[in-house]
Amino acid sequence: MNTQNQNGYMLLFRGNDWLKSLSSEEKQKVTDQWMAWFRRLTDEGKAIAGNPLERESKIVSGKNRVVSDGPFAESKEAIGGYFLLDVASFDDAVVIAQECPGLQYGVQVEVRPVAAECPVASELKHQTQFANA
Amino acid sequence: MNTQNHDGFMLLYRTDEWYNKLSQEELQELINQNKAWFERLTAHGKAKPGRALERTGVTVSGKNGRFVTDGPFAESKEAVGGYLVLDVETIEEAIAIAQSSPGLAYGGSIEVRPVAEECPLDVRARELAREEHCVTI
Repeated sequence: MNTQNQNGYMLLFRGNDWLKSLSSEEKQKVTDQWMAWFRRLTDEGKAIAGNPLERESKIVSGKNRVVSDGPFAESKEAIGGYFLLDVASFDDAVVIAQECPGLQYGVQVEVRPVAAECPVASELKHQTQFANA
Repeated sequence: MNTQNHDGFMLLYRTDEWYNKLSQEELQELINQNKAWFERLTAHGKAKPGRALERTGVTVSGKNGRFVTDGPFAESKEAVGGYLVLDVETIEEAIAIAQSSPGLAYGGSIEVRPVAEECPLDVRARELAREEHCVTI
């Protein structure tokens, strides 16, 4: 894997069902920790955006553009929010992901490099290079 | 579902690498369509710049993030390939915009999610505090 990336990294927080098992004190504690974590990263210039997402979800799929309800509101895979990180190396992004206060309750953090351009455009460039080689 | 939302909607593109199967002409045509689609949305103030994600990465899990595992982000049809944030007020409009996305003609799907005004953890903690307050009075 390329460990350097000028375009930053995205953290996707997965899991929506872990909250249920917590007491209100635990919920308050993890919320405060999460907010303080995001504020610190923002102050350090390492987080440039972040949003929680509502649980509701609709899926639009395929040629016929069929709309269905998102099946994963309660699932471990459901995305509950994201951070956009402005750090230069993949290792930095993983270290930040490992600080997530939800991890001990079962949250999973997906760490993904942001692409410089649309993958369709890079595929075209790749094919053109190949054809000209 | 609450169909009004002042915080916008997020479109999450969930696809495998279907574009690897397209010819140069098809790729070029799709790029042009996508560009026109996105320019129209931004000209109307309905979309903020989105991002595409590389098909690499890891998942961190477990206490203190002790498990770091690889993908898969390339083959899975559920993998998130990119996102776009829409500045529209109803989910119906967000769905209609998702339906007009040129790439859907080739498969894949788009998840439409309301952006939360505040963290759901906060909301839930407040609800619980209120419930406990009601019980104690």
